Amino acid sequence: MPDITLTIDGVAVTVPQGTGLVEAAREAGIEIPVFCHHPKLVPVGMCRMCLVEIGTPKIDPATKQPVLDENGKPVIAMQPNLQVACTNPVSNGMVVKTNTAEVEFARKGVLEFLLTSHPLDCPVCIKGGECPLQNLTMGYGPSVSRFDYDDKVHFEKPIPLGPLIDLDRERCILCSRCVRFEDEIAGDSVLGFANRGRAWMIQSKSNPPFNSKFSGNTVDICPVGALMNGEFRYAGRVWEIKPVPTVCPHCPVGCNMTLDMRYRDIKRVQPRSNEWVNEIWLCDRGRWGFHFVTSDKRLTKPLVRRGGELVETTWQEALEDIAQRLHGVVQNFGGNAVGGLAGGRLANEDLYLFQKLFRELLQSPNIDSRNGTLDEPEHDDLAYAFGLASGTDLGQLGKGTTVLVVGADPEEEAPVHLLRLRGIKRRGGELIVANGRPTKLDASATRTVRYQYGHEAHFVLGLLSAVLEGGSENKEFVRSRTKNLDALRTALRPFGVAAVAEQIGVAADVFQAVAQSVAGAENLVIVYGREAFAAGTPLLQALGNLALITGHVGRPGNGVLPIMRYNNSRGALDMGVRPGKGPGYTNVVKEGLTAQQMVQAAGNGKLQALYIAGLDPVAANPASRAALEKVGLLIVQDLFLTPTAQIADYVLPASSFAERDGTYTNAERRVQRFRAARNNLGDSRPDWQIFAGLGRALAAMVRQPALDTVAASAGKPTGKRPAPAQPVATARTWLYRSTDDINAEIVQQVAIYKGASYAQLKSSHGTWGRQAADDPVFYDGTSYTNTEGFGVQWPTLAEQTNVVFDLVFSQPTTPQPRNGELLLVAAPRLYDGGTLMQNAEGLSFWVAQPYVGVAKADAERLGIASGDRLRLSSAQGNVELYAKVDGLVGPGTLLVPDLAEIPLGQVQTGVLTPVRVEKVEG
Amino acid sequence: MLSDKYAAEIAGVLARYPIKNSAVLPLCYIAQDEYGHLSIDHIQEVADILEMPYTDVYEVATFYSLLYTEPVGQWVLQVCDDNPCCFTGTEELVADLEDRLGIRAGETTSDKLFTLQRVKCIGACHRAPVMQANLEFLGDVTPDKVPGILEDMVQKAQSGATLSISGRFAEQ
Repeated sequence: MPDITLTIDGVAVTVPQGTGLVEAAREAGIEIPVFCHHPKLVPVGMCRMCLVEIGTPKIDPATKQPVLDENGKPVIAMQPNLQVACTNPVSNGMVVKTNTAEVEFARKGVLEFLLTSHPLDCPVCIKGGECPLQNLTMGYGPSVSRFDYDDKVHFEKPIPLGPLIDLDRERCILCSRCVRFEDEIAGDSVLGFANRGRAWMIQSKSNPPFNSKFSGNTVDICPVGALMNGEFRYAGRVWEIKPVPTVCPHCPVGCNMTLDMRYRDIKRVQPRSNEWVNEIWLCDRGRWGFHFVTSDKRLTKPLVRRGGELVETTWQEALEDIAQRLHGVVQNFGGNAVGGLAGGRLANEDLYLFQKLFRELLQSPNIDSRNGTLDEPEHDDLAYAFGLASGTDLGQLGKGTTVLVVGADPEEEAPVHLLRLRGIKRRGGELIVANGRPTKLDASATRTVRYQYGHEAHFVLGLLSAVLEGGSENKEFVRSRTKNLDALRTALRPFGVAAVAEQIGVAADVFQAVAQSVAGAENLVIVYGREAFAAGTPLLQALGNLALITGHVGRPGNGVLPIMRYNNSRGALDMGVRPGKGPGYTNVVKEGLTAQQMVQAAGNGKLQALYIAGLDPVAANPASRAALEKVGLLIVQDLFLTPTAQIADYVLPASSFAERDGTYTNAERRVQRFRAARNNLGDSRPDWQIFAGLGRALAAMVRQPALDTVAASAGKPTGKRPAPAQPVATARTWLYRSTDDINAEIVQQVAIYKGASYAQLKSSHGTWGRQAADDPVFYDGTSYTNTEGFGVQWPTLAEQTNVVFDLVFSQPTTPQPRNGELLLVAAPRLYDGGTLMQNAEGLSFWVAQPYVGVAKADAERLGIASGDRLRLSSAQGNVELYAKVDGLVGPGTLLVPDLAEIPLGQVQTGVLTPVRVEKVEG
Repeated sequence: MLSDKYAAEIAGVLARYPIKNSAVLPLCYIAQDEYGHLSIDHIQEVADILEMPYTDVYEVATFYSLLYTEPVGQWVLQVCDDNPCCFTGTEELVADLEDRLGIRAGETTSDKLFTLQRVKCIGACHRAPVMQANLEFLGDVTPDKVPGILEDMVQKAQSGATLSISGRFAEQ
């Protein structure tokens, strides 16, 4: 867009067309105070704080030319009244005055009015110290009020606006920032104004009240102390708070946030601004879900089983014993008799050492980052090859971008992604949402597609056919960067648009329209989540092919975005905590057992030792308990005494994310650093320290092998390009002093992490075109300035222009429910009541009661009413749940919320399980 | 359900506007006449018909004084107590109505027949004192006219005639 030049207080400013006056003034370093205006929201001009004088060049009506004065300069026609700066876009030749006596008088008046019904209770107000009303009153306001104090409006206060947010209606200046955030950004129209005049107030009439997963952000952007974080009230003053930069441990978005410490206590969690990741937002789980850190159920001492009981021991004893016994197992039975499971909640540094411990010291290829339940999908390699290319900013994409969401529920799996995807739609992009059931994202979509569960892959194969049948593939890209298109065409023959349309009940023109949008877009982002993973490799390959044949890989703004289960699931794969690939997706000489196979081997007595860190197979599937009990040496490393830990021989207490340094890699492959905010709880230690301690003890015992277990070679999708063999293992002594040492080794050893040294993670930071949160004038919320760096997104394979990709195809399979069986679908839930939600009392309100959703048609057919107790059984086992007849559930499926309380692993035989349904008394 | 019972009327209202949201006030009137007032459930019903967020309809319902979020009687009597009416005897009128109905302004009779309210100017000063009953204007209401007016209303209510507290039929 063309640039506009205008004059503000005599300073010439040039800004892009469409810029608001407030922003233009900021460019010139001129302050225009605001309350209701927010850079992320549409301006409304409600508070009148930004009044300025505006003039534009006088235009001669006859000639349509600017009128010039005797000096040849345009005559400026000043508008007769003051104008609000926030809603006025800039125009060429505009003249703005922000410092005249009239403007100052108006500001004083606006503040005097705002304060007429404000209680002025700053000394006891939680916002005191970071309050724009306080700051602007000091800067621009009157020192006295002419308003009769006894006439102030009074309300009962504070009142709960929702389970997490309190409202003080007397302090509210009715700027509507909270209402507009919920409407525009979150898409939850749950806040509104009630009444009028002096009784005008913010209310939430949703049921339950303030039913939004983003409610905490309204507190941040509230320019007064009206909206309050209920937990932070009277918990401390903001000037006593020391914010420690961290990364959210709850989901794979990896929101940047701070732990706000008052001495040793976490008092609140606030966002850190990172426009690449979370902008200035957090979801409520991230904001209020930190209490597990201080749970009194945390493990504080190493435990050892003696005489059937777990008793306390010392680290020295525990580590030496474990090392001895592991060494014994390896000597007597070989490395194959040892297995290791380390989950995606551990940091990259932990995971790297974990796989190194197994591959190098224990000579065991058996490591995995899964629980070993039958519903767990294959590991995701798609993002390694075609992930969102580095440099992609979801917050910038808009017109010309198509987002295809398949089998994902971002609101529940990765909430802040929902805000980002809505943003793309708002900026003119297309958002196509395909799923087997309605999700909240549907409301924001430009098109929704409903397929039947089990036909996900068919849908995408139909899209592939539609692209190829229409000849709209990117021919140049297909020719130069892919091979085997003919084989793919042949394989797709049974999946022509007409055939698939008939088979899965989606109209043929839907395929054509979606294919057109996908192929014709400048940028394509493919998002897939847990329900897509459930459909398995055929779907993922089809999605990869769709990105490939339309040429939407390897360029910023293009690629796939898989939403995996844990915050660092991506890091676990990057670090090679999986049986088939080493760190950096390199091939390994010997493929080990998967988690499922390990549980099986344990049951068969073939596994002599099993080390489980940050995973809980017994909770995921109680049936695996019997198998794990047969393992001679079961070591569990966790924050809590989980069901798995309860049957362990050794239980090692790990530190939480708040007590240690490290890095997590988010769904977009962005490596981000988090910092220790408090001391270790009791004798707990960071995971990496425990692994390093064990490594040191073992290294002294084991004659180290030739270190060729991790033979580096190119990842699978290339097949061609053998990467140079690298010398592995620098630190043979396992003397790691801090995570810095491990990071240095990772940077050296793992090719894709070459650019992810701690120094580089931190190198990109700043305020991103906005002032720090403590800017008293242009207030956009209490999010903190990012001082820890925006992180580094590692490059995908597709960004190497010489890599050629194979268009592979696998035959999709469809689960076949037998007579009368229904398909069990586990729906992800953000508030799952799992271990990381422990102690988070504020969130407990939102954890659903267990139920099974039954479609209306099925309920009628089977004579099921809401409240009936149902037993769902498969070959694996059964669970009993109360039925809820739910119009949102598709016929033929049963929808069970994936809550920690429901042991779904007990009944699932695969990713989609056909189950028998019967009513039971209860 | 409104959408069934008033299907034709609602369709007619919706047809008047290019976007559905614009029909929020007429639909609130229909709901209010049907249910006597606008409770949470009734507002939800309107929101569902218009495919609007519940909150947005609620904002409208609480903003306007002719939409009642609390139960009212079959006849809502609104007496103007702005200046011109006061000069011509509003206070006497209100007192007289209060006496006869046995309630205070702002209350509803126990038989749910009348609600008495004080309102600000309703724009008919030349006929002061004025009151409106279900949005029908009654001008020059001196206390001697009150018994007849009330009697009429009782009869109308008892005759089973369709009354509209929203004034949907005021012009007919």
